[in-house]
Formats: sequence, C-alpha cells, structure tokens
Amino acid sequence: METSKINGTLIWYYYICQREVWLIGHSIEADQENDFLILGKHIHELFYKGEKKEIFIDNTIKIDILSNKKVIGEIKKSSKFIQSARMQIAFYLYYLKKEKGIEFVGELLIPEERKKEKIILTKEIEYKIEKAIKDITEILKLPKPPKPEKIPYCKNCAYKDMCWS
Amino acid sequence: MKKAVYLFNNGVLRRKDNTIYFERENDKRIIPVNTISEIHIFGEVDLNKRVLEFFTKNSIPLFFYNYHGYYVGAYYPREYLNSGLLTLKQAEFYLKIKERLFLAKSFVKGAVENILKNLKYYQKSKDDIKDYVKFIEEKKNEIDLKQDIPSLMALEGEIRKSYYESFNIILNSESFYFDKRTKRPPNNPLNALISFGNSLLYTTVLSQIYRTHLDPRIGYLHETNQRSFTLNLDISEIFKPIIVDRVIFSLVNKGKIKIEHFEEDVEFSYLNEKGKQIFIKDFEEKLFTTIKYKNLGNVSYRRLIRLECYKLYKHFLDEEIYKPFIAEW
Repeated sequence: METSKINGTLIWYYYICQREVWLIGHSIEADQENDFLILGKHIHELFYKGEKKEIFIDNTIKIDILSNKKVIGEIKKSSKFIQSARMQIAFYLYYLKKEKGIEFVGELLIPEERKKEKIILTKEIEYKIEKAIKDITEILKLPKPPKPEKIPYCKNCAYKDMCWS
Repeated sequence: MKKAVYLFNNGVLRRKDNTIYFERENDKRIIPVNTISEIHIFGEVDLNKRVLEFFTKNSIPLFFYNYHGYYVGAYYPREYLNSGLLTLKQAEFYLKIKERLFLAKSFVKGAVENILKNLKYYQKSKDDIKDYVKFIEEKKNEIDLKQDIPSLMALEGEIRKSYYESFNIILNSESFYFDKRTKRPPNNPLNALISFGNSLLYTTVLSQIYRTHLDPRIGYLHETNQRSFTLNLDISEIFKPIIVDRVIFSLVNKGKIKIEHFEEDVEFSYLNEKGKQIFIKDFEEKLFTTIKYKNLGNVSYRRLIRLECYKLYKHFLDEEIYKPFIAEW
C-alpha cells in the first residue's frame, strides 16, 4: 500500500468510519447493489450535467470542475455528513495548492436540498487535513481493518452486511 | 435485492441500445437489466456477442442447462471487483493444509447441523427419524478427528447417505423413494429432484460469489484442481438442507409435484418442463423468504448466501473465525 495514495474518498470516510477507510484503502469494495450507493451515482450523473467536468489529477483525486474554472465542486446527496463533505473539498483545495501551486475555491453542492456552500482553505483547515492524512496513513498500515462500530451511518452503508454478518 | 430470471422458452436474446429483449414468435419480452442478478437458460436460446458484452457491462452471469435441466456451464463475466489482497488471502488459506482443513470441516459441520435441524423437525411427528438423528449425531463427532480432505469427504458421504435414506420416512411416498444416490443420470424421481435442486443452488451461490471479491475457483472441501468452480459447491453444502431439501419436502408432501411431472425411461428420470417450473417457483420463493439475522434485521435466504461470503472475508482477514450458518429451526 502506497501511503501517498490518499484520496478524497478516504478523507470523507475518515470523518465517518475508520474501518471503511481501511477497506476502501485495500480495494475491498462494498456491495454494489446497495440502494443508497446506486442513488448516489444517479444523483451525480443527473445534476449539473452541463456545467461540470470531471477530471482526474495524478490518478489520485477526482474533482468536478464547475463552469467557472476557479471553483471545484463536490456533489452530495444530503447534508447529513456535511463535515465530511467540507473536509473532502478542503482536501482537494489543499492538494491543488501543495502539489500544483494553484489556489481554488471549493463549492459544496447538495442539489436535492438546493444547498450550496463555499469552502475556503484556511490555515486551521490545512492543519486538520494534515492530521487526517497522517492518521489515514497509519490506519492503512494496520494488518487488518479496525473493528466495526455501530454508528448511525451503518444503517444505510453499503458495507453494512460485510461488517455485521 | 435483484432477482433471477429463468428462461424456458425457445427464442432469441437481443440487445437493443441499453435493453435486452427476449424475442419469440409474435412475442417480445423486455428484460430490465437493472433489476436482475443472473439469468438461467433452460430453453433453446440464441444469443450473440453483443448480448454477452452487455451482460458483462451489467455484471450479469448466465447459466445454461440442457434439455434435462442438467447444468452445462456458465457465462461468468469478467470479474468487476478486484482486490488483490483478498485473492491472495483466499489462496493462502487453501495452501496451508491446516487452514484448508479447518474451512472444509466448517462446511461439513454446517451441512450436518442443518441436516439435523431438518431431521429433528420431522422427528416430532415421525418417531422412526430418531435412529437417523442418533446415527448422524455420532458421525458428527468424527468430523474433528479427520486429518485429510478425502476421509472428510467420505465421512460426509456416509452422513448424507443416511440422511437421504430418512427421506423415505419424511416423504412417505411410493413414488419418491430413495434406495441409493444416483446423479448422472438420476435413476428415479427423488434423485432427479435432488440433482435439479442442487444444480440450481450451485448456480445461485455462484452468482452471489460473483458479486464479491471471492474467487469461485478456490474451494476448500471440493478439489480445486478438478473443476473450474468449487467454492460455490462448498458453500452450497451448508444451504442444501435448508433450501433444496426443504423445497423437496414441501413439494412432495403437499402433493404439488407428482409423478406426472417426470420423464421416465428404464434407467433414468428427469423433471419435465412443468415439473421444473413448479420446482423453480418454490425454490425462488424460498430464496425470497426472510429470516431474522442477528445484527441486520430481516435477511432473505439469497442474501444469507452473500453473508456467508462476507464471513469468509473476515476469516481471511483474520478478523473473525468463520462459523457456518446454522438454521435456528
């Protein structure tokens, strides 16, 4: 496992479930038939079709660039895990700043709730991201996944059956 | 949860844009790919590469059966879940004889426990069953003494032979009588039912394995180097008594399946088309039935098969020792 391969998804899950960070980090995928997973994909395909452009950077991060070229957007189904979503965008901003020397502004989009939120990379957020990257690297080094813990997220999680079988 | 589709009629499977049609004379049936997990083909069906490509794209395996309902092969699309880690672990547990034996014994123990559940249920009304229960319970204790796979399989064979003999009491039917297990071809209607049911279960389990990171070619109880798919046979052992055999008991005892649903020759016996359809209807209903599962609420039998795969993940990742599913009643 290459420790430099931290991506936005791992950051998102870091703030929700560390077990999931390990599983995804080891390419153990969730149940692809999970209704919520399918719904999420549809929302992604359906909204902002015209104005977004999905691009891959360094094979590591996948971002949606919105029509205005200095804004990167991230689409979510609901604001339930808004902190995770904010940090995921912050990670993209951080990555682009550190690796590419470009400063972007982020935008969190929740089409179903007609919500938009601007995300700006502050020093404080940068520290948080750095800590998350360090922690995730440690989690991925563990020989086996952290034990499952029952949290509210489990209810609709595509890994549910895997964790609680 | 996605469903299985069974095709009995002769016709052509055609892809048109992003849909599949099953065309027959004067008849066109749309197969909505988003809702199906696998297709079982019993009739004479023509299909082309375009169709297969579409099934690959949608991760749908196809299973083919011959005229007699005997499994002939599968179109198992390219694996779409790739985790090198789990594949390596799965192989590692095969190569270490102690680990392999542990898993092989687990499958046999699961099978035997579920066999006993069936027998104990019928023991309540049929007193003679108790001799079989006693014999199988004694044999069960020998599982742990076995040191290699062939002798474990022989023991399992002995247990299953005794169990199948008990069907004569459970079914109490002259038409469905067990003398000895014959497979290719089955020699009487009861053997035909067992073979057909087991075939359906093997492919159903295979279809669930396809939806996981597990490699169906690496089995533990069944010899890996002798056939292409074996893990499905291993996992099926656990579910045969609670899915296939219970469907047989209910079909025969309720008189839903009769001798007229078989094609008989001097030496062999097969379900005819009507018979196959009756069997599949109840088999599918069984897979759809739900039971309470410790942490997951209501879970269907089909889902239960998937959970068994996930339990193997955890075993391979050294998280939790594998325990086979045992029915509560």
